[in-house]
Amino acid sequence: MSWIDIGTLNDIPLRGSRIVKTEAGCIALFRTAETEVFATSNTCAHKKGPLSEGIVHDRKVTCPLHNWVFSLETGEAQGADKGRIATYPVKVQDGRLLLDLDAVLAKVA
Amino acid sequence: MNINADPVPDTFVRVAEVWVPKEGRLVHAKGDYVHSPAFAEASVAESFAKGEGLPGKVWESGKPIVLKEFDGSYFKRVEAATEAGLTSAVAIPVFAEDTLKAVLVLFCSADADHMGAIEVWEYMQERLTLVEGYYGSAKEFEAASQDMVFSHGQGLPGGVWSANTPILKRDIARLGSFMRSEQAAAAGFKIGLGLPIPTPDDNVVVLTLLSAPNTPIAHRFEIWDARPECVGATRQAQLIDGLCEREGALWAQQNPPVDPPMAHAWKGPIGQVLGTGLPYVQREGAGLPAGYTSMFALPIYREADLAYVVACYL
Amino acid sequence: MQKMVIIGAGMASGRMLEHIHESDPDAFDVTIFNAEPRGNYNRIMLSPVLAGDRSFEEIVTHDDNWYADNNITTRFGERVTGVDRERKVVIGEKGEVPYDKLILATGSSPFIIPIPGHDLPGVVGYRDLEDTDAMIDASAIRGSSAVVIGGGLLGLEAAAGLRMRGMEVTVLHIAGHLMDRQLDETAGYLLKLDLEKRGIKVITEANTKEIIGNGKVEKVLLDDGTELAADIVVMAAGIRPAVQVGRDAGLDVGRAIKVNAQMCTSDPDIFAVGECVEFNENIFGLVAPLYDQAKVLANTLLGKEDVFTVRELSTKLKVTGCDLFSAGDFAEGEGREDIVFRDPKRRVYKRLIIENDRLIGAVMYGDTADSNWFFGLIKDGTDIEEMRETLIFGPSFQGGGAAASDPLAAVAALPLEAEICGCNGVCKGDIIKAIEGGVTTLDDVRTKTKASASCGTCTGLVEQVLAVSLGDDFEIKAEKPVCKCTDLTHEDVRRLIKAQELKTQPAVWQELAWKTPNGCHVCRPAINFYLLSDWPLDYQDDLQSRFVNERNHANIQKDGTYSVMPRMWGGMTTPDELIAVANAAKKFDAAVKVTGGQRIDLLGIKKEDLPEIWSDLNNAGMVSGHGYTKGLRTVKTCVGTDWCRFGTQDSTGLGIKLEKKLWGSWTPHKVKLGVSGCPRNCAEATCKDVGIICVDSGYQISVAGAAGMDVKMTESLVDVATEAEVEEWVTAFVQLYRENAKYLDRAYKWVAKVGLDWVKEELSDPDTRKALVERFDISQSVYQKDPWADHVSNRAEQYKHLADLTLEAVT
Repeated sequence: MSWIDIGTLNDIPLRGSRIVKTEAGCIALFRTAETEVFATSNTCAHKKGPLSEGIVHDRKVTCPLHNWVFSLETGEAQGADKGRIATYPVKVQDGRLLLDLDAVLAKVA
Repeated sequence: MNINADPVPDTFVRVAEVWVPKEGRLVHAKGDYVHSPAFAEASVAESFAKGEGLPGKVWESGKPIVLKEFDGSYFKRVEAATEAGLTSAVAIPVFAEDTLKAVLVLFCSADADHMGAIEVWEYMQERLTLVEGYYGSAKEFEAASQDMVFSHGQGLPGGVWSANTPILKRDIARLGSFMRSEQAAAAGFKIGLGLPIPTPDDNVVVLTLLSAPNTPIAHRFEIWDARPECVGATRQAQLIDGLCEREGALWAQQNPPVDPPMAHAWKGPIGQVLGTGLPYVQREGAGLPAGYTSMFALPIYREADLAYVVACYL
Repeated sequence: MQKMVIIGAGMASGRMLEHIHESDPDAFDVTIFNAEPRGNYNRIMLSPVLAGDRSFEEIVTHDDNWYADNNITTRFGERVTGVDRERKVVIGEKGEVPYDKLILATGSSPFIIPIPGHDLPGVVGYRDLEDTDAMIDASAIRGSSAVVIGGGLLGLEAAAGLRMRGMEVTVLHIAGHLMDRQLDETAGYLLKLDLEKRGIKVITEANTKEIIGNGKVEKVLLDDGTELAADIVVMAAGIRPAVQVGRDAGLDVGRAIKVNAQMCTSDPDIFAVGECVEFNENIFGLVAPLYDQAKVLANTLLGKEDVFTVRELSTKLKVTGCDLFSAGDFAEGEGREDIVFRDPKRRVYKRLIIENDRLIGAVMYGDTADSNWFFGLIKDGTDIEEMRETLIFGPSFQGGGAAASDPLAAVAALPLEAEICGCNGVCKGDIIKAIEGGVTTLDDVRTKTKASASCGTCTGLVEQVLAVSLGDDFEIKAEKPVCKCTDLTHEDVRRLIKAQELKTQPAVWQELAWKTPNGCHVCRPAINFYLLSDWPLDYQDDLQSRFVNERNHANIQKDGTYSVMPRMWGGMTTPDELIAVANAAKKFDAAVKVTGGQRIDLLGIKKEDLPEIWSDLNNAGMVSGHGYTKGLRTVKTCVGTDWCRFGTQDSTGLGIKLEKKLWGSWTPHKVKLGVSGCPRNCAEATCKDVGIICVDSGYQISVAGAAGMDVKMTESLVDVATEAEVEEWVTAFVQLYRENAKYLDRAYKWVAKVGLDWVKEELSDPDTRKALVERFDISQSVYQKDPWADHVSNRAEQYKHLADLTLEAVT
């Protein structure tokens, strides 16, 4: 585990998203509740739409291009659609956002 | 394949089928046999001449017939029916003036746990007299029913006869004139459905179905008024009464009652009856109220016009 | 909170409480007394309960839970002994309750004719559940007899119910025919026949002399010496308003408690409603005026203006199998003309009474199918001169044409192998199979079978197959819920947001019982729009509920880059603006496209560059062109009188004015305008949401055009003379659309739903128009600002990466 400080919780609007650039491509951070954040791949499994631009609801996000819905917890596409996006460990500590970079890079390797 | 994961009790009526006249015989038109595929097979291939088998007998007599047991009767599909656990049947003719439109046959399964009553009343000498009755295991009630007569306007049969309208009674055991109150209460009968059945000789017989909550005739009843003098010239019908175990009373409870539910020809199960003028049977598929898998509906004519549709949901 | 005390939990006060709780549940702290030991039930349905056609539970309108849920203190079964107006308290048997507002809803009591024996046990009125139960108990004795005194509505319903329960029933009626207040002789006669068929004996012109019995009712004696055996006597000779409490309190009482048109009694803090009320010398017994009163009283108490007026009434009898209807005035008289229709075989009788080419009364027996239509003609005072000849045959005979043929029957009759979709070779059987497999919508049919998925000309047929197979389920689905988060439709949600004054999204989710914690991508943008359009000053627009384009104020492209389009007012620009646009295009390596709306679009801009390009364009004096919004897009113009030899007005100038007025506003879907300087229509105004054609005499405003998936010409809204009027009408139209349309309905779809006539009717009232413009201006005070400048100064950070870990990984 290598937790890297990537910013503060308040950098992300509630039910909004920001992205982090990594060697493994862009990672989207979603703030689903006051103190709940998820990290996933920013790229939709369908046609590579930018998930960080989607509408965040419950613990899910809807891709802005074709309305595929993904669980931010599991990465699984919801409903009739089949597909999956990568998810990464992220945690909130004293208002700071910590991302596990090892896990991110491991998925590239 | 009797899959019934629901805690909802099975209904007294198990199988419904429709026979229509074609080239001088009654042929199978529709049927719901989900409990008994073998019986389905035996039925679909069948056809009846006038006077032959249960549907043919009904055609001939022009009146509903209650068949208390199959063995030793003119009933033709004894083996398949018995195997399917069916114990009795009621066959109802649908006449428009003297033209037979169809015969609706309902098969029941009665045992110690399944109780229901089906009665046929005829108007003779200013009285409605019980001419046929099937009571399954409600033996005390059966005994109390012998020699029952109602005057016109009295009780469910007398009320139906006088108003010439299907009627759905609540709390029948509490109906004062219902002189079998005690026995009815003991058998658990609560809801009574009375149907005026026109006969080709311009008479009306009354069919009554008595239902107990734990073994109901059906789980939901609806009465639709399709008379032109109620709904106008277009083929449509207005829900005038109904009871559903899930949704409760179905009549328009707002007051003053506004816009009761309407059914239109060809749309939905009731619409099929309005469109074709024939009884209708449906298993699963669209148009059934939430939670129901099966229904049958009976058109009731006044002279040549379709007047009412009575629907039961299982 | 004000303290309200209500005496009487009947249908009028019940309806009043419903109105109050719908509008403002926290307005009053309510205590309600009722002499009956229960709350409100549908009293007029007691007859079917007596007949066994309904159970009592079915007619309860407000159960204990309802009172509890609405925080109403109930004092049921407790009589009120007095009202102290000095101290403003109501004195109940079990204690006093103070009030700020007191409502008397004491109803009425049956009129017991004071003949000898009227006080014997076994004589009952017919008013409440206790009376009903007493009758049911009496009928339990086999062969027992009942005498009903009074052949009006209530008496006959009682008689039919008692007969159904097996009693021998005689109805005594003092007049010459039954229901003489509501029916004429013929109808009374047919009714008598119908009752006799039920075994009910009817004696008219019957004068009751005495009720005889030793300790209880035994028989009824008539003037002519007739004796009738009776185990129960039902007095149904009318009602008397129950005014004791009001009289004792010293209020003005005539035949009943006097009220004004606001339902206020002679004491400004005491009101009365229902059968205990006298208004302009009228008293009331049927339910319709009671409900009118309830509404007026609720409005009065909530400080809204309302006026009670006495309306025409209609009557129906609740005896199964007796179809009768009567309304209005049916007495014969000078200048009155009757139209009568009889069908003896069917026992049908209809009589219409006409005076001065107006229908003033109707009596119908045996066929009441058109009763509502006739009642409408009476109430509205419609001139029936034109249709006098065929009037009696009802609405289906009017207008000449025969009833339209039934297209569904034709579809139902098609064989399964009939081809429905020619493009994809789909037959009816394929669609039915899909429906049996659970498909319920047109879209599902398209996905599953490909029927109507290509050219779409068979869509109507496919819908008819769905309608035939699914029945009314299909139509119900047409008004489908917003999304899976709720069962409510868009219309419901809009209505409830206004009615319940819901001003935040969480309030909507909570109060409207959303099934998800915070909505989904379907409902959130819709709710966000409804809230910001209904409550512009209260609601805070939520960017996270907006589709990406509206959140980032630029159109996302399929590769994730954006397009940027500055506003060019009315399609006019300047060399300096063009230089700025060209510089920006070069700097950010954009593709450049001239759009159909007379603008210049720069494509291929990266998200992180958006604030910078906006800033550059802002510096050249340009603002967002909103090419990405459900809002005002463009106003397309032609060059007009300034340059064109055909131009009749300054179309460019007007277009710019309109654009400056409307820009920045959010709408249910995009809004495009066109202004053409003459009927040659170079600005293609007649396929826009709003199109203006200039003519010599002024301006023709038309609306509801379309030029997308659907192509549709605009329809004329109004012709006006001045630019100021154009601005007012167009603004009012846009605001009406904002306030009423379903989210994502283009204006033409919305107009098709509500009807252009309705739109015209609303907008043609100068006051309505003015109010709409005022509300639009209020909204613009919040929303008419350049989002680019706003985001550049307030949200630029959000367009950057939160962090760049590629550097991190290198180290």
